[in-house]
Parts: sequence; structure tokens; C-alpha cells
Amino acid sequence: MRIKMRVAGYNPRQRMISHRPPLLLIFALVFLFPAGASGWDNPSDELAKQIAAIAGPGPAKLTMRNRSSLPAEQVPAIRRTLERDLQSYGVIASSSPEVATVIRVTLSQNLQHELWIAEVQEGAEVKVVMVSTDLPATQTPSAGAGVTIRKTLLRAQETPILDVGFISIGDERRMVVLEPEQVTAYRQDNGTWVQDQSFDIVRSRPLPRDPRGRIVVGASGASGHLFDAYLPGVVCSGSESNGRLELSCTDNDGPWPIASQKAFYNATRNYFTGLVAPGYSTQPGPFYSAAEYARSGGTVTLFSRTTGETVLYDKGVPRIVTGTRDWGSDIVSIHSTCGEGSLLLVSAAGAAATDSVRAYEIPGREAIPVSGPMPLDGSVVAMWETADDSTATMVIRKAQPVQYEAYNVSAVCN
Amino acid sequence: MSRPFVISSLVICLALSAGARTRSHYGGALRIETQSDPWRVPDGIARRLVFDGLTRFDDSGVVAPGLAIRWESQNNNLRWQFWLRPGVRFHDGAALTPAAVAASLSRSCGKQCPWTGLNAVGNSLVFASDSPMPELPAELARSMYLIVRRHDAAQPSGTGPFRVINASDRLASLAANNDYWQGRPFVDTVQVEGNRSLRDQWLDLSVGRADMVEVPPELLHQALQDRLMVLASRPTDLLVLSVSSKGALHDDQLRQAIALAVDRAALFNVIFQKEGEPTGSLLPSDLTGYAFLFPTERDIARARNYRAGANTSPLVLTIENPDATEQLVAQRIVLNLREAGLNATVRPASSEPTADLVLKRIHLEAGDAAAALDEMLENFGQKMTGETRDPEALYKEERDFLKTYQAIPLLYLPRAFAVSERVRDLRLTADGTPMIADASIDGAK
Repeated sequence: MRIKMRVAGYNPRQRMISHRPPLLLIFALVFLFPAGASGWDNPSDELAKQIAAIAGPGPAKLTMRNRSSLPAEQVPAIRRTLERDLQSYGVIASSSPEVATVIRVTLSQNLQHELWIAEVQEGAEVKVVMVSTDLPATQTPSAGAGVTIRKTLLRAQETPILDVGFISIGDERRMVVLEPEQVTAYRQDNGTWVQDQSFDIVRSRPLPRDPRGRIVVGASGASGHLFDAYLPGVVCSGSESNGRLELSCTDNDGPWPIASQKAFYNATRNYFTGLVAPGYSTQPGPFYSAAEYARSGGTVTLFSRTTGETVLYDKGVPRIVTGTRDWGSDIVSIHSTCGEGSLLLVSAAGAAATDSVRAYEIPGREAIPVSGPMPLDGSVVAMWETADDSTATMVIRKAQPVQYEAYNVSAVCN
Repeated sequence: MSRPFVISSLVICLALSAGARTRSHYGGALRIETQSDPWRVPDGIARRLVFDGLTRFDDSGVVAPGLAIRWESQNNNLRWQFWLRPGVRFHDGAALTPAAVAASLSRSCGKQCPWTGLNAVGNSLVFASDSPMPELPAELARSMYLIVRRHDAAQPSGTGPFRVINASDRLASLAANNDYWQGRPFVDTVQVEGNRSLRDQWLDLSVGRADMVEVPPELLHQALQDRLMVLASRPTDLLVLSVSSKGALHDDQLRQAIALAVDRAALFNVIFQKEGEPTGSLLPSDLTGYAFLFPTERDIARARNYRAGANTSPLVLTIENPDATEQLVAQRIVLNLREAGLNATVRPASSEPTADLVLKRIHLEAGDAAAALDEMLENFGQKMTGETRDPEALYKEERDFLKTYQAIPLLYLPRAFAVSERVRDLRLTADGTPMIADASIDGAK
């Protein structure tokens, strides 16, 4: 049986060992354990039924222990629920030392499921029954300070998401999700996005190991054209035909539009080659991401280089940005009313399973943080501009279990 | 449960990568050292880098497509059809064909294959058997079924993320496969040096001559004291006593006496420095959730009682793959047995092909409880009898086998590696295999 129940925590698939104190343990204990017992009714009833089938009606001594990640304080409530359910099948929990039947219940778990196990002992004979329930995912905390970054979940799925865009077909809005090997369109049905159409992307070469891709909505202006999807070595064009979406893809190593430039992407790697058009007298070199940033002195373009530094082009002159030591490889700018006109959203450095995004302003050559880091319980794998310049699309990858989540990210002034 | 380890992992990841860039860099050379032959069948570290299987276990232990893109069970699991991934080529340029795959699989298991017939149909393979094969997709993900093309006997060809540049018993020089179907690996080259003592491995790591070395479970504490950065798996290796049901131990009660006499707590506390987990089960507790139902406590009084009713000649204990740690384990077991009134001696396996007791370390590859039990039972010449795969049915299947006392599980142990600071994004699969193709080198361009 598969019964959804409320529980938190999971077994690790692997561990890294450190001498450092587990500071995040406190965080996990505080945030990851939801309270309440409302989800226990079904497994409890099922287990009680199976116990009663073995023990038969009558008194029994009931013991319970917890070997799962359920918080200890929730065990008494589970016990009360089980006692009630046992009673409904005629098995009465008794503390008398003279009862012949002993029921030992263990709340356990494996990698996929909660497992409630009852050992029913009558004399020397022990019989075992089990009930399993699915483990749900953990909850996500978020925070911010100064300028506050907000994120709105667009889509969560087990397979990789590269980018998400929104288009209109007739009067109806569609959400287009770009994956490494397909494009899927969703339409709204009673407030939820349901899959409408899906297209496979056929390619002649394998995808690189860290595949990236982006959707650019409505750039061409041609009749019926809705969006372009850029992937390593492939470009797809989405258009409308008789109220339906059509997609055509071709092998294409042409440049991707990024930050008012056209940049060539290395189809066998995870970065742009560094060749941009119209470009500069000194090219930026290979880079992961780029952003156009508006400030009082004019608009500048930033490139997050593969070598680690971020370079800023102001009137065609490159300068290294300072204050970027803790920056990751993904940067994107959004229009903001909070400061000079733009905010730069930046992922954090490192290869940890968790990540964060922080907003910066760059009045000169130094990046000034203007928000607290917005913690994420996965690592940022994509940040792209959207057609609406006040928001960006961010995709994170959660590790345990693997799940990709796409968000619409914006900033509000405090 | 092991929540603290989850938290620790996050902390160390942050520490490892301070100042690093988030996206992985391409390029660089990764240097690995091991005690064993990198080409050892089935689980030498180089094999997983050069060869692929029809299926694979993903990093959470679930069976995922490999060289087969899909598969289908037919006729109540008596027949399976696997469709090959199109466009894949061996490193020597030859196309991946059903014939090549069939030839490789047949070589892998010879007359012990779980199927009785294997035929190519179009771009697919059809496996047939007289008995159901419910776990065949998981079985084919195991290392022994990696697809090897033997065009050149000296340098077998694979389809994996790395191709062989140079190979010998103790050395594997590998280069990234630019056309790998899962994407080119980040590092350009990998060098695996086998037959290196642990001392030499740790020394090489400390002076920057190696990027990844082994850490046996009993040395995990020392690795931490030495401030090495360690990546450890969940428990994947079962230390188990295989007990003959013939000869001196044909009596069930004697075998039960041995099971009751063994002191797992001492092995866990003293020899393995509290790493891993004492177990009475063939499967690790995180995989099943019911391992605690199999007792691990020593009961010397009951052991003596069972011993008292039986005659026995001195027992012979051998070690399947002897090393210093397993010698210690074997000697301690002999002491345990002596306390229960059983005489036993440790002898070299070569001199005793039919020992009463064999100490084995079995590596568990499957990440799913049913496939894992199937894999474990196979190690003792058994097959699963039922087709039901719910936890209760698996528990009963395992319990029925363990009641024969032909296997006495002792400890489940993790696999661990120490890595240099320049390695990033290195993870282990569910069975503790390093995912080298996903790793990158900081500072590489």
C-alpha cells in the first residue's frame, strides 16, 4: 500500500565527514520537522487491522519505539491513534503483566518509505506485519534583508529544467518548459498548469554533461512566431498554427542572445566561448553568464568568466569587478525601482548541495550587496532574463531526492 | 538514523569549495590510487569508467537506462526485451550492436547466466528463461554485466565516459570520451594507479601526487584526525560468515551455536572503530527498515547449549580475500567460538578449498531492497522464491534463508575515499562507486 503521511527527514545516500560541528543540524531540527498527527490515521488503521488478524480480539501489551526520523514528541500521538484503531478491531492495549500477547511496534524507515512494523508475540512465537508509507519531500525556508528577493515556484519535476517562458496563444497563456531533450507546453486548468503539448528535441550530437539552454520569447516579431529555444548545438523555434503550438528544431551553432549581445555557446561544454557580437575591441573570454546593468552613468555589461572573476564593460572598456569573491557563476539583472535602476542577482560560490541568491548594486567597480542571501535548498543551475525585465527565471536542483524547481524571481524594496 | 551525517555533508561541502565557482570547469587530470587492481572483475574502479551496462543504478540506487533506453517484461517475467540506445559507438569506433552486447553478456556469466536464451531482434535483445526474472533490469546494472568489446584482447573497448590510453595490471591511463552519450566528462584524463599500499596512498595525497585515495572503514577516524576530506558511502559492504551445511557443520544446532557465539559488538567497537553497523541481516537497515528484526546480540549461554548436544571436529575458517583487518576479524571469531566450546583455526583459503567457515566481504550494488536481496542470496547459491516485492514478503524470504544459518551477517561497512582540495563535485553512487565523470578539477581551464 502507499499512504501519504506527514513526516520529515530522509536517510542520506552518502556522507561527507568533517571535524566541524554540524551547525546546520539545529537548522534542520527547527525547520524540517512539521508537527501534527493528522496523516497517521491510514497507516495506523492498516497496521491495527493486520495485528488484529494475528492476535485476535482481547487484551495485549503494546510497546512502541521510534527508529525513524519522526520527532520523538510525535510518538505518543501515534500510539494513541494506534490504540484507538486496535480497540476498533477488538484488541485492547493493557498494562497488566498477565496478558499473553505482546505487540512491539517499531516506527522505522528505509530509503523510500516509512515502515511501521509490529512484532506480535504469543508465547515463544513471534509474527511480523508491516505497513509502508511514502516519504514526502522536505520544506523550503527562505529569508531576505534590505532589498528582499522573492521567488514564486513555477514548476517542480524530477527531470532537468533549463528554462521556463510564458507565451500567449490566442487569449490563452501557456507556460513553456525547456528540458534538455524536450519542450513541454502547459495550459492553465482551474488554476493549475496541466500538460498540453510536448515536443522531442532531436539532435545529432550528445548533450554536454552540464546542459544549459534558454528560452527567448517573442524576439523575432515575425507573424505567428512565439519563442526561440537555444540549446547546445540546437535552436528550436516555436510558433502558433491554428491555435496550437508548433516547434521546429535544427542543428545550429549560431550565437545566443544574451545581455544585448549575441554570444557563441560552446556546444560541448557548459560555457560561452567568449566570442560575442557586436562585441568589444577586447573580447571578454569564455564566460558562464552575462547581464546588462543600468545605472546612473549608463548601461554596462557584466560577464561572469570561467576563470572566476567578473568583468564589467563600461563604454567598451573592460574592468574587473571587485567584491565578487563569494559569487557563483550565474548572474542576471532585473529592473528595479529600489536603487539606480537595476539589481544584479547572483548565485553563491561553491559546490554545496544548498545555494543562495543575493542582490547587488554596482555603482562603480565594486559590487555592493543590497539584500541578504536568499537561502535555497538546492543549487542554482540556471538564471535567465525573462521577457518581463523586472523578473528573472531561476532553476535550482535539489539533491535529496533529485528534483528541479523553476522559480520566477523578483525584488521588492524594503 | 543518520541525519547528522547529512548535515555534516553540507558543512564539509561549503568548506571544500570556498572561493570556487559554482559551475564545473572542464580540463585537468585526476589521479586516483587504489590497493586493488583497477581492472579487477567485477568492481575494479577503471571498469566503471571505461564500460557501460545495459542499465545502471542512478545515484539514489534506482535502475535507470544505460546502453538500453527502455525495456519491457513479457510473459510474467519469463522474457525481457531491451532496446539499445541508438548512435552509441565503442571507443574503437565500432557501433554498439545487439550482437556485440549479447557476446559480452554471455562472456560475463558463462553457464551461470540468469537467462537461458539471449537473442538479437532488430535493435533489441530478448532474454528468455524457464523461471521468472523479475529483477533482470537491476541484475544487468551490476558491474559483472558491463559491456566489453574484445576486438583487441590487450585493450578491450567500451562505450563509457573514458577511453583507455594505456592499461596494465597496476595502471590505467584514461582520456575523456568526447562523444560520450551522457556528455563528455569534465576532466581530460584520469590515471588510476593500483596495488598502492594505503600508507603510500595517503602520503601521495598529502604531498599532492594523488587526488583520490581509499579510506578503509577502520581508518575513517584516523582520516578525520589527519584532517583529510573524506567522502563516505552508506553501508554497502557486508562482512559475513558463510557456513557450510555439510561436513562438521551439517547439524543445524551447531550452525546456530556459531551465530549466537559471534560477538559483533566487539568487531564493531574494537576492529572497525564504530564505523558501519553490526547486522544480523543480509541487507543494510537503511535499505529495508526491518534489519533490526534480525538479532545481533551475542548469547554465549545458548550457544554453549546448542554446542553441548553435538559432536564436532575442529572447524576450519578461511578468508575469501585476506587482508590485515579481516585476519583480525577471523582471529576474534575463533576466540568467540572457543568461548562457546567450539574449536576453530584460521587457515589460508588456498590450503582449504572446502572450509567449514569462510569470512567474506560482499559488495552490494543494488539500491533497491528486492534486487539487493536477490543479489545477496545469489552469493550463497540461493534464489528468491516469491515474486512479491513488498517489505513483509522480502523480510520473510530473508528470514527463511537466515534460519538455515548458512550465512551469519556480521557488519555492514561503508566505502570511503579521501580527496584533495582541488577536486569538486565528486559524489558516490548508492553503492559507493565514485562518479568520476561528474567530478571536475578546480583551477582547470
